[in-house]
Amino acid sequence: MIRDLAAVAVGGALGTGLRFSLDLAFATTDDLFPVSTLIANIVGSFVLALLVAKLWGPSPTWARAGLGAGLLGSFTTFSALAVAVVNLIGVDQWMLAIIYLAATMVLGLAAAAFGLWLGSRRALRSGSDDAELDSDTVHAEMLTE
Amino acid sequence: MTGGVVAAILVAGAGGSILRYLTARAFASNERFPWAVLIVNAVGSALGGMLAGLAHIGTIDPNLEVVLLTGLCGGLTTFSTLSVETIQFVTLKRVRTALVSVATNLVVGIGAAAAIYFWLIALAA
Repeated sequence: MIRDLAAVAVGGALGTGLRFSLDLAFATTDDLFPVSTLIANIVGSFVLALLVAKLWGPSPTWARAGLGAGLLGSFTTFSALAVAVVNLIGVDQWMLAIIYLAATMVLGLAAAAFGLWLGSRRALRSGSDDAELDSDTVHAEMLTE
Repeated sequence: MTGGVVAAILVAGAGGSILRYLTARAFASNERFPWAVLIVNAVGSALGGMLAGLAHIGTIDPNLEVVLLTGLCGGLTTFSTLSVETIQFVTLKRVRTALVSVATNLVVGIGAAAAIYFWLIALAA
């Protein structure tokens, strides 16, 4: 438990630092797309999906906690998405707010689906006996994270 | 921005991540609906809306704003777990759970942020 929490804290600090670096690299104003948040949410969804499908089974609890809940959980964000949409509405950029929200949801969910598909496909190729069983384990592991 | 502010952002991000992890652990036995993600995203978005509102009316220190918004709220909320769990529900043929989860995160999260943000601006006007 203590080891899991320490892994989450270290991963959380790293993920937050990476997201903050993206914010600095793609500086934005209230009436523009926050590109950094969009990139973090798409890339983070893809990488987490890949890890869940490919690595979660054989990995120890602390590694899953540090990489999943810690690194990728904190690299991606929902509050920055909500604040960005509210800021765009505040300056009457309704169309931009809707486009930004739709782009995040469509691309983020597509990235997660692609990551899960790619991860389970590679697990299959690397000689896993029962891919169907693997993918069931993946669901159970993820949902009880 | 000083090194101290950057360090505070990272510490706040770690703290937010631990709160999110403990929330997930508390709901781990409930597989009917992904409550943990909805709760952290709603709370973090509401706090984010408050911070953005305070920043808009100029009553919060910019350094404190970025520590709490980018650090604490960013660490507490998550998008990757929401997106991955949503696709997992779809592949488990639980499409209705997936749709309700995404819809409630969007409506409650953005709704809470917007309500607090515009309420604070109206109060200051």
